[in-house]
Amino acid sequence: MENSDVFLGLHDFLERMRQPGAADFVKSIKSFIVSFSNHVPDPERDSAAVQEFLAKMEADFRAHPLWAGCSEEELDSAGEGLEKYVMTKLFTRVFASLPDDVKQDEQLSEKMALIQQFIRPENLDIKPAFQNETSWLLAQKELQKINMHKAPRDKLVCILNCCKVVTNLLLNASIASNENPPGADEFLPVLIYVTLKANPPQLHSNLLYIQRYRRESRLVSEAAYYFTNMQSVESFISNIDAKALSMDESEFEKNMESARALLSGLSTDLENQSNPSDHLIGHAPGAETMDPRHQALNVSKEPALRPKSSESRPRTKVATLNPKDQLSFNKVPSLSDLENKGAELLSKEDRVSQVFKEYPYLFAHAGDLTINDVEDLLNSYKELVLKYVCLSKGLGVSAPSIPPFNSQTKVQQNAETTNKQEDTRAADPNDESIKDTGRTEVYSTTNKQEDTRAADPTDESIKDTGRTDVYSDRVPLIDVENSESQLAQEEAVAPQGGKVEETSQ
Amino acid sequence: MATSGNKNINAKLVLLGDVGAGKSSLVLRFVKGQFIEFQESTIGAAFFSQTLAVNDATVKFEIWDTAGQERYHSLAPMYYRGAAAAIIVYDITNQTSFERAKKWVQELQSQGNPNMVMALAGNKADLLEARKVAAEEAQAYAQENGLFFMETSAKTASNVNDIFYEIAKRLPRVQPLPNPSGMVLADRPAERAASASCCS
Repeated sequence: MENSDVFLGLHDFLERMRQPGAADFVKSIKSFIVSFSNHVPDPERDSAAVQEFLAKMEADFRAHPLWAGCSEEELDSAGEGLEKYVMTKLFTRVFASLPDDVKQDEQLSEKMALIQQFIRPENLDIKPAFQNETSWLLAQKELQKINMHKAPRDKLVCILNCCKVVTNLLLNASIASNENPPGADEFLPVLIYVTLKANPPQLHSNLLYIQRYRRESRLVSEAAYYFTNMQSVESFISNIDAKALSMDESEFEKNMESARALLSGLSTDLENQSNPSDHLIGHAPGAETMDPRHQALNVSKEPALRPKSSESRPRTKVATLNPKDQLSFNKVPSLSDLENKGAELLSKEDRVSQVFKEYPYLFAHAGDLTINDVEDLLNSYKELVLKYVCLSKGLGVSAPSIPPFNSQTKVQQNAETTNKQEDTRAADPNDESIKDTGRTEVYSTTNKQEDTRAADPTDESIKDTGRTDVYSDRVPLIDVENSESQLAQEEAVAPQGGKVEETSQ
Repeated sequence: MATSGNKNINAKLVLLGDVGAGKSSLVLRFVKGQFIEFQESTIGAAFFSQTLAVNDATVKFEIWDTAGQERYHSLAPMYYRGAAAAIIVYDITNQTSFERAKKWVQELQSQGNPNMVMALAGNKADLLEARKVAAEEAQAYAQENGLFFMETSAKTASNVNDIFYEIAKRLPRVQPLPNPSGMVLADRPAERAASASCCS
């Protein structure tokens, strides 16, 4: 079991740091971290300093009696443990520390929030045989976990997991449909689509952070390939225009305006609520324990999103959701909320009958209908149901059932329960399809293990042997034990890469 | 980038070509030695590695597939940056794909690593009756532009291994630089070996 080996390896590392012989290492690590608090952030210099320090320490580990006779894996674990330790300490200093990066994060996130409203797999050249939006939710979730971690490696693992899910789904689809095996022609478009739908928090900053602070010698080979894909996804998304999606300029603009109008309606509602669980976008203190369920819904995790004020007021139908006319809701708007809102607006209309002119059967009696009307009615009914179900899905409301018309009661669906339902609904079919084929392996980054872990020995050990008192006060303690489960889990990725080589020789 | 040490060469190889030219089939054929019926569940779809023994050295290819659709063209530099080799694939039954291939060649010549080993692959060579691009034309083009050319078939495996072997042979053999950490372990030389001179 590689996993347990790695687990033990990191334990060994922590054990070694407790030993008197490790005192010099402990001192070096502390003074390196403290040295960071003395200057303003400078990504280039900081990144070089961290890379150099990690490389030097790894070389020193290798030469030190503490690791005498150790396997490469144990030395590797030691390096991983060190990277995680150092970067967790430095995180608040170096992550999204420049105003420009923060701005880019916001712009990218806003763009994704808009485009995800209308993008279709076809816009990105995803062939029908490879389309599987339900299962892609699983890949989206992996990506949305990225801010649950601080260590560069753990963030990278979220990206790799997402890519693995996509890859495996594509392989399954190609077998099921007798298509040629998938390659980058299939993979990249799906990764873009999944990323747009996931709208992972602070994507720009996360990618920069990984690139700068993931140990260079480990960001190689397959990990480097998938990381590059994620960077190219970011690049593609930030440059998306009508042409990139094979849309008419006017159609694209119309879609963007509709999306803005829709989101402005939603965000106004959200601003009226003071739900602390909505502060999910940033790396707030304690974000490590953030519940991924909250991220399931894009609409609910975009409270900060506002349309650009400079935009002219949209003239599309959705524009009737003008914030000024809205009732103020103390929850995420559900379909019924929107319905009630619409009903209120409708009651203010001067010529209501005009509005219903398109629907000839609305005021008909059963006796008026002829047999020829049945087909017509049935078609309309089907269209209506489809539209309703799609809208429900779009809003993240589960198990849509058509509420009574003109219902005055608001269905109480706060963000929490909506998300929960969405979560279970989305996960079940995926799990099944995965189990059936036994192909998709998700390297779970669940927090459960981590949460229940006891206090971390590293910090203790560092205090025990520590001679720099400044250190423990200035730098928040981290849970280095966390890295164990992460390490163990990501090792599952490694044998895969290994197998490729083995089988190919 | 190509890294070397103890005659072990790590070479990043990027696959470029129009959608449907058969990039991934070609690499699958090379990596798996079979066409279509691959059952290996753990294998990736767009990244592969394969090791070849060539004359005096062992070359480990890390093969990066790229999306061939026009809309993703501008992303390609992120993939071919630092590549030691490139295979530009077109479909011999599709003239447009040959034109795209030429564009790739031009782009690599102006933007890519100057030492990059480039191969032009006319794929689907088994579909002779549907041929639209004459072998002579492609051969002449390759010669003019200093790359080598082969017609390949992922379906029959014709020339598939050959093209990779030819690239492996042409990779520059760089003397391993002294390792900064002062120690090279024989079993894992690649990761600690110094980088050969490639562009960033």
